[in-house]
Amino acid sequence: MSTGALRIQRASGHAGPIPGEDTQRRMQVAKLIDTTTCIGCKACEVACLEWNDLTFRDTVFENSYQTMPETAWNYWNLIKFNEHERDDGSMMFLMRKDQCMHCADPGCLAACPAENAIVQYQNGIVDFQQEYCIGCQYCVTGCPFNIPKFNSQTKKVFKCTLCSDRVGQGLEPACIKACPTGCLHFGTKDDMKELAETRAQQLRDHSGYAHAGVYDPPGVGGTGVIYVLHDITNPEAYGGLPSNPRVPWTVRIWKGPLKWLGNLAMIGGLIGVTMHYLRYGPKHVDGGTGEGGRP
Amino acid sequence: MNDAILRYNLVERVMHWISAITYCYVLLTGLAFYSPHLYWIATLLGGAPTSRYWHPWVALVFTAVLFWMLRVWLGDMRITPQDRVWGDAVGHYIRNEDEDLPPIDRFNIGQKYFFWAMLYSGIVLVLTGLVLWFPELIPWSLRSFRYVAVLLHVAAALISIGAFIIHVYMGTAVVRGGFTSIIRGEVSPAWARTHHRLWYHRVTGR
Amino acid sequence: MTNGWIDIKNTDMMLIMGGNPAENHPCGFKWPIEAKRQRNAKMIVVDPRFTRTAATADLFLQIRAGSDIAFLGGMVRYALENNRIARDYLLNYTNAAFIVKQGFKLPEDGLFSGFDAATNTYNRATWNYEEGGSLTGKADTAGDTKTPAAPAAAVAGGPAPAPPGMPANTAYDFSLEHPRSVYQLLKRQYSRYTPEMVERITGIPKDQFLKAADLFTSIRKDGDMKKAGTIIYAVGWTQHSMGTQIIRTAAILQLLLGNVGRAGGGVNALRGHSNIQGATDMAGVFDVLPGYLKMPNPTDTDLKTYLARVTPKSAKPGPWDSFNYWSNMPRFTVSYLKAVYGDAAKKENDFAFHYLPKIDHSYAWAEIWDNMARGGVKGLLAFGMNGVSIGPNSQKNINALKKAEWLVVCEIYPDETSEFWRSPGITPDQMKQIPTTVYRLPGAGFAEKDGTFVNSARWLQWKNAALPPPGQARLDQEILARIYLKVRELYKKEGGKFPDPVLNAVWGYTNPQSPSLTEVAREINGRALADVTDDKLNQTIKAGQQLPGFAWLRDDGSTTSGNWLYCGSWTEAGAQSQRRGTEDPSGLGIYPNWGWSWPANRRVMYNRASCDLDGKPWDPDRKQVWWNEAAQRWAGNDVPDFKVDSPPKDHMGPFIMNAEGVGRLFVPLAALADGPFPEHYEPFESPVANPLHPNQSNNPMAKRFKSPEDKLGTPAEGYNIVCTTYRLTEHYHYWTKNNPMNVQLVPEPFVEIPAELADDLGLHGGEKIKLTSARGHYIAKAMVTRRIKSMMIDGKKTYQVGVPIHWGYRGIAEDEGKTALTPANLLSPAVTDPNAYTPEFKGFLVKVEKV
Repeated sequence: MSTGALRIQRASGHAGPIPGEDTQRRMQVAKLIDTTTCIGCKACEVACLEWNDLTFRDTVFENSYQTMPETAWNYWNLIKFNEHERDDGSMMFLMRKDQCMHCADPGCLAACPAENAIVQYQNGIVDFQQEYCIGCQYCVTGCPFNIPKFNSQTKKVFKCTLCSDRVGQGLEPACIKACPTGCLHFGTKDDMKELAETRAQQLRDHSGYAHAGVYDPPGVGGTGVIYVLHDITNPEAYGGLPSNPRVPWTVRIWKGPLKWLGNLAMIGGLIGVTMHYLRYGPKHVDGGTGEGGRP
Repeated sequence: MNDAILRYNLVERVMHWISAITYCYVLLTGLAFYSPHLYWIATLLGGAPTSRYWHPWVALVFTAVLFWMLRVWLGDMRITPQDRVWGDAVGHYIRNEDEDLPPIDRFNIGQKYFFWAMLYSGIVLVLTGLVLWFPELIPWSLRSFRYVAVLLHVAAALISIGAFIIHVYMGTAVVRGGFTSIIRGEVSPAWARTHHRLWYHRVTGR
Repeated sequence: MTNGWIDIKNTDMMLIMGGNPAENHPCGFKWPIEAKRQRNAKMIVVDPRFTRTAATADLFLQIRAGSDIAFLGGMVRYALENNRIARDYLLNYTNAAFIVKQGFKLPEDGLFSGFDAATNTYNRATWNYEEGGSLTGKADTAGDTKTPAAPAAAVAGGPAPAPPGMPANTAYDFSLEHPRSVYQLLKRQYSRYTPEMVERITGIPKDQFLKAADLFTSIRKDGDMKKAGTIIYAVGWTQHSMGTQIIRTAAILQLLLGNVGRAGGGVNALRGHSNIQGATDMAGVFDVLPGYLKMPNPTDTDLKTYLARVTPKSAKPGPWDSFNYWSNMPRFTVSYLKAVYGDAAKKENDFAFHYLPKIDHSYAWAEIWDNMARGGVKGLLAFGMNGVSIGPNSQKNINALKKAEWLVVCEIYPDETSEFWRSPGITPDQMKQIPTTVYRLPGAGFAEKDGTFVNSARWLQWKNAALPPPGQARLDQEILARIYLKVRELYKKEGGKFPDPVLNAVWGYTNPQSPSLTEVAREINGRALADVTDDKLNQTIKAGQQLPGFAWLRDDGSTTSGNWLYCGSWTEAGAQSQRRGTEDPSGLGIYPNWGWSWPANRRVMYNRASCDLDGKPWDPDRKQVWWNEAAQRWAGNDVPDFKVDSPPKDHMGPFIMNAEGVGRLFVPLAALADGPFPEHYEPFESPVANPLHPNQSNNPMAKRFKSPEDKLGTPAEGYNIVCTTYRLTEHYHYWTKNNPMNVQLVPEPFVEIPAELADDLGLHGGEKIKLTSARGHYIAKAMVTRRIKSMMIDGKKTYQVGVPIHWGYRGIAEDEGKTALTPANLLSPAVTDPNAYTPEFKGFLVKVEKV
């Protein structure tokens, strides 16, 4: 979803400079999700559906309060519910709002071959522009968080836009607006980091969560969505939040060395055969007319 | 000319050209997705979404033809000890010193290697391609399959491209008459004797 | 709520029990979170399940549904034993020092003094204070004086009989040592609630209980008064056969800890619907008139008799003072009669007092259905109320409707009540036999109406209509007005037994067919009919002007007010409920210019108790009100809930609505039907006999019904699983099952069961489970969870299961055939609390099986 007020700093499948790059002050925005104050009310889920006018899905009860197992092409914001038993036998009911993490180094964008289908604005929002999407789903493979989802009808991939249309107009994302407990915050990445660290410190000092910490994984260059977790050493307990997410190394090789090696090889091959022809020319047929197979 | 020898029957020629055309389409569209510098190819071919839409379907046709070829040519494509002798002397072939090469049957080892290269890379391409086509059907816990698939898909494609370049070059520029043979099916006895002497003896009895 | 939603942010300690605010009040739950974030407040959650509220708690205890009094009684004992009490507060602001009548007996055997087994009634004569002065240091006089004569017999199930009255000059012992002092009785009453007993009854292991008790009472460590703790509850407390007494126990605990009246303190009921507080204020229950005026009964032969019965006289120790605000009852009553009957209410005719209906027996919810089942109630007007789904004992309600002659349902969706005739199990042939005529009226949804909502914090907030009602739908007031006008016309034409109240009711709206709610709200506030002067203030309200507050109400017919509590909500300055001022000068979240809070725009009730005896705030950082010595008045950030010119030296009690002026640890006389102190009784269906007194297991005063549908199950019959019912965040009662958005969030009914029980049954999550109670069954998919664990109740391994209530036989999932079409309340029993008449929806027995 493109929005006039935001300029692009990175675009998928694009050769050459980006027209908008560095024409705007860079101020990375971020969403802070404090899982310790999330109550799983799903107001963010509903706000996301409402603001983006997403269609309804048929859901079935799957032994959980969780609306559906994973996010979907028309369900970009999903709270993941997890029952977690601590070593002392006491329960934790972990609720984590799952959505696009808006990585600083987005695997989806790296993997995407379609020019401008995935862009990163100068405020860090990673956005899919469906009009350029070719439906190849490489982004699905590139994403370490299992976020982009394919609509097999339209052959386009969708995900959370961080409400780039709202943010471009100076508003907070719809989910933030709807959150009743203040578990969700939105602002500059620096501010959110500070707020998150302060909260984590409070949890360590006053709430007995010795391992409370902030999830801002460096493997993807940091994210535009950061979490405060009760236990930063075990993010997997929060519905499979990867402990060290990275853009898959195969994607890195594919989009890096392999591409250049391949290009070289192909060009080399063409040069090689040309050189061969210039040096040796065509073969001659014994006693034949020399030309062709037809005597 | 009634002394012309039939090298490729109609079925073989049709087969070859279906695979050639489908391969070219898949190659061109694949190249478009492979590098931003070649993305324009997709535009020429009717736009990127269209290219992406047809790429896997056409690839399926190509794969099907590969197996058809396998059935038809399996006997001809087995690598024999004579091939190996020929292969050891391939330097002569490259330098167009064909008179110094041992006689061979219907296909030389290069052609056979080409066939097997296309077949195996085709198989890899179709398997990895299916993973890339339906990534959401691969459970998240098995996502490493997807990661391997992207790499293998490209690697196999590059191998096939290398083989393809040589094949086209040999078939058109170097071995004059080869291109005609795959279109009209016939070669001259001289051509056959020069390039595939054993085969020549076998089919003509001479 | 004694306090308010925002005020919770001021707390240091929260006990959330009998409520699940994170799920059912998610917007309000921001304030508990705020307290945790800003003040490092601690949160204790006690619930049968590990809920989404528990997810944010510092300490969670799993309790057996229905054993709350045992837990809270144990807390009371812990506070007393460990001196975690607010001594000054207790002595001066509660009735701890009052002496109770000789002959009063604690329910060590399950019964208080005065119980008559033959009639199953209490003679409450000994439930009173002793008359006389100071007994400080004096030993108890030996021997029982004779029990005073019984009061007039109670009307069966109806409101309390006329109390013999409390002594004006109560006996007291400020040393709190007199054995019959309330303090000593309280100590004795809860001495039985040891941690071991708490464990046996509630299933909460002793060490966990002690951890919670220590944590909650830690705010009064060493008697320090700075901190404040709050108790937050909802229908998890009220929906029991002893619900009122559970809340009483919480009140006792809060009085002991000196938490009532204080910012961040109080006993806070979370209301479950957007305007349930307003409905209650405006007489949603049969035994009150608007503003909690008592409903007259047949013994009230005239206004004087009635007022004499219902107007309390102050009862207090001699040296103390009591405001006794209910002494203004005549002013509130006459103003109400003037508001309703206008010119027809004259001094000569007792202000038309005899127009008011007199209640001869209980007309509580469960009684209405029971009466209908017996053929007494011929017709029902169900207005925005799905009686079949609400239950309890839905099948009984369905059967009752089959006997009614007519049923009018005003709703926005087809619901279970209007389609009771096609409830599951009814064959087409049986359907033809049902004679009930059903009328459906298309009502308007909440967003299609203006008017006020009164929230849990007692705030009146005006809302505007967002869009007009669709199609043929009509505003509620139009539907009601048109019915009323038609009835009035019939009375005019045909006379009838007693047409006067209907013919003479005031109906002076600009559009009588659809009164504007603005006019209604102004009418409820009230106005002066003649010039009214306050000599002290030297101020006059001119005839015809809106009254600025209930202090202006008169008992001579010169003022009107539809509800004295709302007097001040729509003044000459306009609609106070429409104010949207966001100033909060004190930072305590008082927001005095936002909306309007009854009474008199006070945000925290009893706020005099936030100060010490000298009128200085217990916590100087949370200054609500204080005594201004220079001005000789009470001043404050909040509106003082007190007589503003009563100096601290007069020792006027802060609990001005009690005749004693102080908070009641002991509740005298007929204020409560089942005892002056809360006692743990087992739910009517319980896995064990009451460990305190097995021979008196249940609340003797709770109401049971005798219809064939009113069966109760026992563990011996195989009903051995404790079942509780509740709502989900994702749904709102029985409405949102019609909304695709909500249905997407939680598409189907389910039952939460402990993983251990599922293992016993060989059941996996998502498979169907059938719950059967003595009254009906319920089939839904199982949610197998580790968030409910098995518990040991009196040595017996016991499981609990939970049923969200939201489905029935009409709705999206229902119409698509995705559910078993069984309303959850087919299971619940129609046993009701004797004070609030609330049915026991929580904590009944079922058996479970795999389908």
